[in-house]
Amino acid sequence: MSTSSESRQQILKRIYAATGSEADQPEQAAAQWSALPRGYIQAGSMSGEARIERMVERLREYDAEVSECEPEELAAAIAAQLKASGKRSIVAPAGLPPEWLAPGYDWKIDRDLQTEEIEKAEGVLTACFCAIADSGTIVLHHSASEGRRVITLLPDWHLCVLKASQVVETLPEYFARCQTPPALVTTISGPSATADIEMTRIKGVHGPRFMNVILVRDDRSKTRLN
Amino acid sequence: MTTAELAPVSQHPVEPPISQPIEPPADRPILDPTKAAAFPAAVLPVLRNPQLRKNVAHAIDVIQAKRTRLVEEKTDWQELRSAASGIRDEALSHLGTYLEQFEERCTAAGGTVHWAGDAADARRIILDILREEKASEVIKIKTMTSAEIQLNPFLEAGGVGVFETDLAEIILQLGEGEPSHIVVPALHVNRSQVREIFARRMGLKDLSDDPKALTAAARNYLRRKFLEIPTAISGANFLVAETGSVVVVESEGNGRMCLTLPRTMISIAGIEKVVPRFRDLEVMLQVLARSATGERMNPYNSIWTGVTPGDGPQRFHVVLLDNGRSQILAGKTERQTLRCIRCAACMNACPVYRQTGGHAYGSVYPGPIGAILTPQLMQMHHAQSLPYASSLCGACYEVCPVKINIPEVLLELRSQVVHQERRQTLRFFDPMYLGLRIANLLFSRAWLFHAAQRLGRIGLGLFTRRDGWIHSLPSLGAKWTQTRDLRGLPEQTFHAWWAAREKEAK
Repeated sequence: MSTSSESRQQILKRIYAATGSEADQPEQAAAQWSALPRGYIQAGSMSGEARIERMVERLREYDAEVSECEPEELAAAIAAQLKASGKRSIVAPAGLPPEWLAPGYDWKIDRDLQTEEIEKAEGVLTACFCAIADSGTIVLHHSASEGRRVITLLPDWHLCVLKASQVVETLPEYFARCQTPPALVTTISGPSATADIEMTRIKGVHGPRFMNVILVRDDRSKTRLN
Repeated sequence: MTTAELAPVSQHPVEPPISQPIEPPADRPILDPTKAAAFPAAVLPVLRNPQLRKNVAHAIDVIQAKRTRLVEEKTDWQELRSAASGIRDEALSHLGTYLEQFEERCTAAGGTVHWAGDAADARRIILDILREEKASEVIKIKTMTSAEIQLNPFLEAGGVGVFETDLAEIILQLGEGEPSHIVVPALHVNRSQVREIFARRMGLKDLSDDPKALTAAARNYLRRKFLEIPTAISGANFLVAETGSVVVVESEGNGRMCLTLPRTMISIAGIEKVVPRFRDLEVMLQVLARSATGERMNPYNSIWTGVTPGDGPQRFHVVLLDNGRSQILAGKTERQTLRCIRCAACMNACPVYRQTGGHAYGSVYPGPIGAILTPQLMQMHHAQSLPYASSLCGACYEVCPVKINIPEVLLELRSQVVHQERRQTLRFFDPMYLGLRIANLLFSRAWLFHAAQRLGRIGLGLFTRRDGWIHSLPSLGAKWTQTRDLRGLPEQTFHAWWAAREKEAK
């Protein structure tokens, strides 16, 4: 048995012996990385409308409910979805626009909420960072309007506001939007699922079992939101 | 510190049933390469178990069909494969640089990086952390690397209760089974077997065998554990050198639970798991999801960087494990083995795995990748039969998203095995070895070859029946005739026929 720092030295010594310590240098690594083949599709080729249609289609394949609204109708659309859900206690991250918090609900604003409180809530309302139409993926970077990771995990129902201008077609287009890599990322592609028993797909294992997306059509409006 | 000094962190209303001593089934497969039987022997119980073979074949057919459909819709699949294999190769050829980068950035973000030379080192480091945390229980996300170092029995012996949280892993842990696949580890267990295990171990007499009900039972069983156990262990699908981030890819959400709720998180990762930059994930995530489960994207990906104040575990450890990998890195042909991203596409495509399932490989890594990875991780001291557990058909190479030429590595390892055997003096008296030496002699001299042919005709003539077929041969020859007949030698050899034809022409 050896201490971790001795192990570190020995392991790195073996690695550099294998890779060649002359060649295994940051400059060479950077040069070779830049020359890697990247012939795969980076930017998508769909029209704006087709991209949004694809996104909606994929979300519905995952059994997410999708509704659309114009930017100026958003607060009303959120209220309508909350009403239809029949849920009362809803978690919200601290950075949501106040007009999203429809009156008449038991809003639990996440200023260091205890886990037990989040667990007891019936739903959660958040924004998102972006969405990828190819795979129907919603991406969270856990900013002030997307909230801590735990709030989109424990409640059984996730109401997510997605602007059409946030929808990209391909995964590489999302990465192109991350000029500074984020510290935290969660990508969600449909509700949690398992196929561990006889490859039968069962939805809703541990994460939220129900997802509801409000798609804000800021792409055709004259006053573009960002 | 003794076990008694470890204060229990949480009290469960129902005592976890795992602590009840239950005799492991007598036929429990052995997945420790130092103890497992050679492949041809280990495979016999499976070949004689039609239920098991049916379960395996069904699961594989389903994944294969989904994968094929989703790979076909991807018009840039070959370009993605080239990029993925290029990225993995680049990570390996500058592995020292990237690991040091990862360590520096993960540490700067509040993580602690540990280096483990072998399995024993890694186990000790993890148990030490758990003792410092005064942890009596730990929740785990499925990790092949922890299975490789046989972590669970070690922690249990050290007084830490281990709770697997992936559905398949729960089935195996409660049923005292062993994984037989690296993505769907319990694919050899069918629903009625799962029902029996859950009913017995969770005390649910009226449980039905509907997968929905079984999944719900697992959800209830785990919910309190997620909320109460403050320490978690995960593996890592990727480490990002540029940012010091760790990536976990999953479907069920048990990963997110373990990554988010506890106070302390320990991730164990092989040193080869690093990719150079954040952007490289745009390739790796696409090929992994399609290859592993036949999805455009798996339900959840989590990426985190050290510690984020106020969000998730506030103490974070990464254990970087060598355990034979740096030696694989040094081999020219062998290095590509380390490109592997554990998608299991190779085992799903393999005609041998389809018949045998995973247990026969005597390792937590089954299938074609196991056949090349396990003997190398064992530094060629064990598992020498595995490189022969293949027909070299190349289906694994064709589906591999990082283009590992598995047949090429298999052949290289076979030659190493032969080289090892040649050095053993006892080999000289082995009938197979002797036969091959004689064949070597005969084939290198024409006159000896013709003489042997004549002798062989006389010899085989004794066994050839009137219908022109040989139905049984003695000794080594029986290995062939046990399962098939051999056509008797024709009247004339080709050489003789050619000579006669030439003569006639004159």
